[in-house]
Amino acid sequence: MPLATRSATGGTSDTPGAAGVRIRGLTVVYKTPAGELPAVRDINLELPAGTVTGLVGESGSGKSTLALSLLNAVQPPGRIAAGQVEIDGIGDVVGLRGERLRKVRGGQVGYVFQAAQNSLNPLKTVGKQLLDLGRSHDVDNLRALVAEAKQLLGRMGLDGARVLDSYQHELSGGMRQRVGIMFALVLNAHLVVLDEPTTALDMITQANILEIIRDIHAERGLTTLVITHDIGVVAEVADRLAVMYGGQVVEQGPVRTVLGDPHHPYTRGLIRAIPRLTGGIDEAQALPGRPPNLMTLPTQGCVFRERCPLRMEVCETVDPPRVHLAGRLVACHAMTGPSDVTPTGHEGATR
Amino acid sequence: MIWVVLTFTFVIISIMPGDPVRAMYEQLIQQGYSPQQAESETALLHRFRPTGNIAEQYVEYIGSLLRFDLGQSMYTRVDVGDVLLDAAKWTVIPVLLGTILSFGLGVFIGVYAAIKRSSKLGDALTMSGSLLRGIPDFVIGLTLAAIFATLWPVLPRAGAVDIRYEPGFNLDYIFSLGYHAILPVATYTISAYGGFILAMKSSVVTVLGDDFILAAELRGMKRSIIFRYIARNAILPLFTVFALSIAAVFSGAIFIERIFNYPGLGMLLINSIGRRDITVMAGALLLITIAVIIANIVADMFYSVIDPRIRRAGERV
Repeated sequence: MPLATRSATGGTSDTPGAAGVRIRGLTVVYKTPAGELPAVRDINLELPAGTVTGLVGESGSGKSTLALSLLNAVQPPGRIAAGQVEIDGIGDVVGLRGERLRKVRGGQVGYVFQAAQNSLNPLKTVGKQLLDLGRSHDVDNLRALVAEAKQLLGRMGLDGARVLDSYQHELSGGMRQRVGIMFALVLNAHLVVLDEPTTALDMITQANILEIIRDIHAERGLTTLVITHDIGVVAEVADRLAVMYGGQVVEQGPVRTVLGDPHHPYTRGLIRAIPRLTGGIDEAQALPGRPPNLMTLPTQGCVFRERCPLRMEVCETVDPPRVHLAGRLVACHAMTGPSDVTPTGHEGATR
Repeated sequence: MIWVVLTFTFVIISIMPGDPVRAMYEQLIQQGYSPQQAESETALLHRFRPTGNIAEQYVEYIGSLLRFDLGQSMYTRVDVGDVLLDAAKWTVIPVLLGTILSFGLGVFIGVYAAIKRSSKLGDALTMSGSLLRGIPDFVIGLTLAAIFATLWPVLPRAGAVDIRYEPGFNLDYIFSLGYHAILPVATYTISAYGGFILAMKSSVVTVLGDDFILAAELRGMKRSIIFRYIARNAILPLFTVFALSIAAVFSGAIFIERIFNYPGLGMLLINSIGRRDITVMAGALLLITIAVIIANIVADMFYSVIDPRIRRAGERV
């Protein structure tokens, strides 16, 4: 069992190359009294091997649903209705079932849970749960697994031996979060999904955890997906950025390009909503309106049009095309016409 | 707690219409006893003197109880303690057996009903739980008796054991014991089972929605391990239900034993009421109360065995 030997040797030197991920045409629907409604619609997204991709969006934009799809773990009443999620070395996870899928989860794809503070069984010590994890993945050398876990916890500034001997209620929120990260990494997964890893934490702990994520990512050559609604987090850790709105990726590209010169009106709105260190608080402009939910999501045309300052007639009826612009993808009608790509001019018009 | 019950029993006996203690005292005097003789005779039975003020009587009563001296039966003149112990084994064992069976069955079916909660079978199981919970236990007892002892007489109608057999460790006797216990135990089981199903189902549904179960799934934990996580967490609140159930089944025993003519505490209580045998009555009430309280304490202790949050807190005190 290659997995067992990898875990047993513990170190990071023999980690194989990171696994890239290609998501194609992914649609996830949820069953509601009004029929099956898409929470994620026809998403194309690539996570290049060895990069950190940040996925931002408001609550309900489908971020977590997308993340769960990477493990084929969308919870009922939801299901993946169409598309592929191809991970290097695994294949299309959408087709995986049963034992194979179980081995991929945890073994090859590490997942740090949203609300990782509550991701532990309250009746068992962390160490016992670690052993449960090892046994679930046929790790032969449990002793090496424990040593690896202690080392990881140590890197995150915790006393490994003490934490492994603790119950969940004896650890603070930040400690539990780090235990969650340890669980995602201890089996040497190459792909790590972090679903809002720092949401419930204070600024100091948050910064600390982001640094750890960055370090371990670089050291192990992982492919990492960080999901957050905090653009600051993305700016800090990510190489690439994808912005989600209403179940679709509206803009994606290298993080500096997208943040420095956002094209999609939604991305612009998000960035304008961040208060700056310099200048008055009034300069931060909240995006008007509310994000759509499953029931109010338009079934055709652009999902953002209700709140869009650049709204045109075509937005009502036709899905926006995905436009390639200087290394990024933007899904917006306003980017296609000859009079487009003049963001500053439009910005004035919105005020 | 026990003391409260003691006091309560004492007060009830003291204010009972006709004052049985006084009545006996006067009856003895009429039979030609001297007041001293009558007084000591009454005191021997009741553990408190018929005369004197209520405070003195109370102190004396409690004092003798502390020495486990419950007085004598007014009817048979046997020590109440012996009578009770003899009857208790016929109640405690079937009640415990019934509740534990019911617990096991209820927990098992409750888990199933929770997992299949959106299917017809799950609904049916939950419904059966609600229905059974609504039916009083004596109705269940009577129904079982009507079906299995009268309509289709495969099980004995009454009694605890066939008197043909010599008591002791011989097969016939033990077999006869078990045979006679089937109906009462079944009644206890069925009457408590509804509560367990409902409690277990709701508890499992809650745990299934807990984040750590999804987290365990996303970490690729084995199904058997996840199942153990669910079961152990879901069963915690059930211990409270278990203790309450024992209490309910114990008080239900009064009716059930009457139905099956089973010589337990409930039967003893009913008979003693019929005979105005106050001392036995008080003793039986007391014992049933103590049993219920002990069941609660034991359930609480179970909690601390299984739940580290309580265990460790206790260690640090």
